[in-house]
Amino acid sequence: MKFHRWVLFALCVGWLSGALVAQDASTPQGRVFVNFVSATNAVVSPGHSTPVQFTFRVLSPYHINSNQPTAEELIPTQLHFSLPGEVAIGRMQYPAGKLMSFPFDPSTKLSVYSGDFVVRGMVVAPTQSSTGTYTIHGELKYQACDNNACYPPKKLPFTFNVTVGSRAKAVRKARPTPSSPHIHN
Amino acid sequence: MNRNVIFVLCVVVGITAVLLVGKRASKPPDSAIAAGGNAQNTPAPVQGAGDPPKGSLAPAFELKSIPEGKTVPLASLRGKAVLLNFWATWCGPCKIEMPWLVDLQKKYGPQGLQIVGVAMDDTEDKEIADFARKMGVNYIVLKGSEKVGDLYGGIDRLPLTYYLDRSGKVVDETIGLASESVIEDAIKKALQQGN
Repeated sequence: MKFHRWVLFALCVGWLSGALVAQDASTPQGRVFVNFVSATNAVVSPGHSTPVQFTFRVLSPYHINSNQPTAEELIPTQLHFSLPGEVAIGRMQYPAGKLMSFPFDPSTKLSVYSGDFVVRGMVVAPTQSSTGTYTIHGELKYQACDNNACYPPKKLPFTFNVTVGSRAKAVRKARPTPSSPHIHN
Repeated sequence: MNRNVIFVLCVVVGITAVLLVGKRASKPPDSAIAAGGNAQNTPAPVQGAGDPPKGSLAPAFELKSIPEGKTVPLASLRGKAVLLNFWATWCGPCKIEMPWLVDLQKKYGPQGLQIVGVAMDDTEDKEIADFARKMGVNYIVLKGSEKVGDLYGGIDRLPLTYYLDRSGKVVDETIGLASESVIEDAIKKALQQGN
């Protein structure tokens, strides 16, 4: 009988802890502004390059600065990668931002991304690259606002695969991977 | 035993529901803030979660002033009504409020108002100082820190403004861009209280 009560007590404590954790997950610090949608899994031969693209989704009602904001104090959206020596990524092409004005300042146009946006680049495999599939860890740095407030800069980690092989194949879609073991917010 | 189990489960479910409902009720709904649009539509000041509650003494801190580099304890402003405005150079809505704050400092400074802008930028002091100069800021600017941000609920969005009466108690709070009239009303309230 006593043992059962202790089990019940432990379950209650567990339940309440879960409720409190759930509360924390809904706080603004844990709010999601941007999701990683997809990346092309690149296949490249040593000594060659292949295009790669990354799709992100800015959730409504937020917007983030484009890569070329209209004022120097604004924080640009940027992609960064942790690269193994076997591949490099270059020639990043960020989309032009939409020039939009917002209710907090209708007279000023800001260059922003909202909804889906795609960043393109080239994956390069040096001639001495070893064949194999490499998981590349990337990170999107951005700073989001809505019509009324702005939120501290954030980092969104993601991963995608690059296969270095003797024959380049067509690219295929990767599944979103929301977290990375090597890059943290 | 069965009756005990049912009773305990009811209590647990009840407490969980109270916690979740309480948490939800204490926060401004996102939709209200996002839909706020222009400052005129901004909802009236709302108490946020984890923030110092109204009527409580504002958490004490010491921060460096920009550009002077002097240490300014919040307690040194006791006797004045204080508008504590958390902002950043990258925050568009904060930039909109700054000229209003300049005017309000001029208007209510002689009555005992001291506006304090706490810059939450992770950048060089000079950049903050240059920005403040460009905006014609005539009030105290301090370099914020994560530690002080935590004392004020984590500062998860900007601008965030607290209105302290002359005894250092929080009398009001505005989250996000508030209209000039809402800010002015809160200043009047702060000036009238805590003598």
